[in-house]
Amino acid sequence: MSLFLLNILLALAWAALTGRFEPVNLLFGFLLAFALLWLAFRRRNEGRYFKQVPRVFELLAFFLIDVVRANLRLARTVLSPRMNLRPAVVAVPLDLKSEAGLVLLINLVTLTPGTLGLDVSTDRRIMYIHTLWLDAPEQFVRGIKQGYERRLMRILEA
Amino acid sequence: MLQMIIVFVLMLTGALLMLLAGIGVLRMPDTFLRMSATAKAGTLGAGLILLGAAIYFNDLAIYTRALAIVVFLMLTAPVAAHMIGRAAYFDGVPLWTGTVQDDLHGHYRRSTHSLEADMVPLPEQVNEVVEADDYAEEG
Amino acid sequence: MNDIIWSVILALISLALIAAFIRLVRGPYLPDRVVALDLISVLAMGFIIAYAVRFNQPNFLDVAIVLALITFLGTVAFAYYLERRV
Repeated sequence: MSLFLLNILLALAWAALTGRFEPVNLLFGFLLAFALLWLAFRRRNEGRYFKQVPRVFELLAFFLIDVVRANLRLARTVLSPRMNLRPAVVAVPLDLKSEAGLVLLINLVTLTPGTLGLDVSTDRRIMYIHTLWLDAPEQFVRGIKQGYERRLMRILEA
Repeated sequence: MLQMIIVFVLMLTGALLMLLAGIGVLRMPDTFLRMSATAKAGTLGAGLILLGAAIYFNDLAIYTRALAIVVFLMLTAPVAAHMIGRAAYFDGVPLWTGTVQDDLHGHYRRSTHSLEADMVPLPEQVNEVVEADDYAEEG
Repeated sequence: MNDIIWSVILALISLALIAAFIRLVRGPYLPDRVVALDLISVLAMGFIIAYAVRFNQPNFLDVAIVLALITFLGTVAFAYYLERRV
């Protein structure tokens, strides 16, 4: 956590020194500072942070690709005269335990078109997801668990 | 010039996504499917249009404002969808007849508003479990 | 050229608004109307932002912020009402 703060401070310093507080420049400063911190601290016992940052970016990339792909499929479904829907409410068992992780997971699931996080059971063991196209139930559950839950767990609970 | 092209591409994509949400909410056959179309097509459309606006004005104050709205939308839209979806299911709004699977059926407890994963309805609890057919005769 | 593109953008959002409005009128259930109302305010937000860029009025963006904040509260209030009504 302290490394993360240091990273942000260094990114801000980079932006201040170059005099341009644009988002692209801030992002570049963040990556530059990350490389610098990696060079400086990789030998100490702080390896966790250096694994987490690439994982966050990987999750973001995976999410964006999923969003684009699912939006195209949604467009095709909505615009075709006979909508090819196979809607279903599917129960997905949860391994994720932390509250923040659950909120993030259900938000990510809802923001990808076609799936909608409906509710989580009161004892937080099962999440109910509404989907537009249920092709194969096992494959769908596996997709959610492997795609989002595992990645989130590796970031939050590693 | 290049800046204007990026702005136009972002705004047009955003407007198309919004139109997709509009057509989706009009054509989809039940409440949950309609929500599926609006919760993200609307949010992503608004996000893209905001990004276009931020790039157009190219001002730090507007970048931060745009970022704040996008983050806020992405955090709240799913929460709002979850709350309406839950309320609709609880209220007995029927699922579309073509729905292939409904794992949520009979898992809400009406007296406590809780959702119980492994509830097996006992004979005396049958009336308490929500069945999704309260609206059947109105439909 | 630019004017045509702006007209197209605003027209697309207007069409979406009309579609959402038809759903608001038709229902048939209360949650459908809440969903339509939610979508209408997001669309109005997009329209305001596009308008602000079109006529170079950055101050209008604040209106969009306020709309985004209020919409969420309105939707949550509706959902609460719906669930407690049973």
